[in-house]
Amino acid sequence: MQEVSLLPTFDFSEVFSTASGAIFQSDSERCWYVDFAGKLARFDYRNLLKLKKAVYQVDIEQKLLSNDKSPDVEILFICASDHCYVLSLLQVIALKELLQGTFVMLELNHIICDRLYRIVA
Amino acid sequence: MKDIIRAKCLISSDVEALINQQIKKEAHSSAIYLSMASWCNRNGYDFSSEYFFKQAEEERMHQLKFYKYVLDMGGTAISPEITNIKIEYNSFREVFEEALDQEVSVTQSIKNIAARCHKEQDYVTLEFLNWFFKEQREEEYKARRALELFDVIGEEGTGRWQIDKHVGQIKYDSEP
Repeated sequence: MQEVSLLPTFDFSEVFSTASGAIFQSDSERCWYVDFAGKLARFDYRNLLKLKKAVYQVDIEQKLLSNDKSPDVEILFICASDHCYVLSLLQVIALKELLQGTFVMLELNHIICDRLYRIVA
Repeated sequence: MKDIIRAKCLISSDVEALINQQIKKEAHSSAIYLSMASWCNRNGYDFSSEYFFKQAEEERMHQLKFYKYVLDMGGTAISPEITNIKIEYNSFREVFEEALDQEVSVTQSIKNIAARCHKEQDYVTLEFLNWFFKEQREEEYKARRALELFDVIGEEGTGRWQIDKHVGQIKYDSEP
């Protein structure tokens, strides 16, 4: 009898990566996988936007300049998502860079899709 | 790679943010008109009070129109927080001066959204905004006419009583 292996199919394409992490898109699942801070987390459209908002809202400059004794840790909790990040300030900066790059690439992809497939020449 | 974001949402995040700002502005407007209605009522200007109640309702309707548009396009509509609403006015005339200022600022802010849409070639939102431009034409006309009554009739003697009576009759029917 032939054994049928049910290996999951991966159709990830890398959207953007930096030295500290990467974001992949899965076309079949219509979601993104964020590889950052030692874990791979799945984000759908709404949650990715929420993550972006949460990261962008961290006032990095103020944190850098503040000299109080509270620990240099930022907890990013995303409402209605399974993931949460506990990051140091340097990691927040790295994640912000990763997300900025990602959204630029997604915008670029949008323009390419428009030009190549949507506008009938 | 599929363009997932575009499939989920028609408007860009910038336009969405601008419209959410506008939602707040319309809600603020509505609250101000309500406050004006209260002031007019307290001071015996019955017709003006009625006029401002109607305006408050219209602004609320505009707010909902924007709100539903954002949702229909797949965006996130944000219910705004409204604070700092004035309760007292110095004079009857001041109420109408501020009403006109309010309308002018709403028109400007919608123009600002349209400018952004032009830049992004977002013709869908532009078409949606057209309705508001037409509406603002009427709103500004009515606010200006009301203020002009103060010059035409004058505030001396029974002037304010006359003005109040005429405020309710202002109509804009240049074009249906």
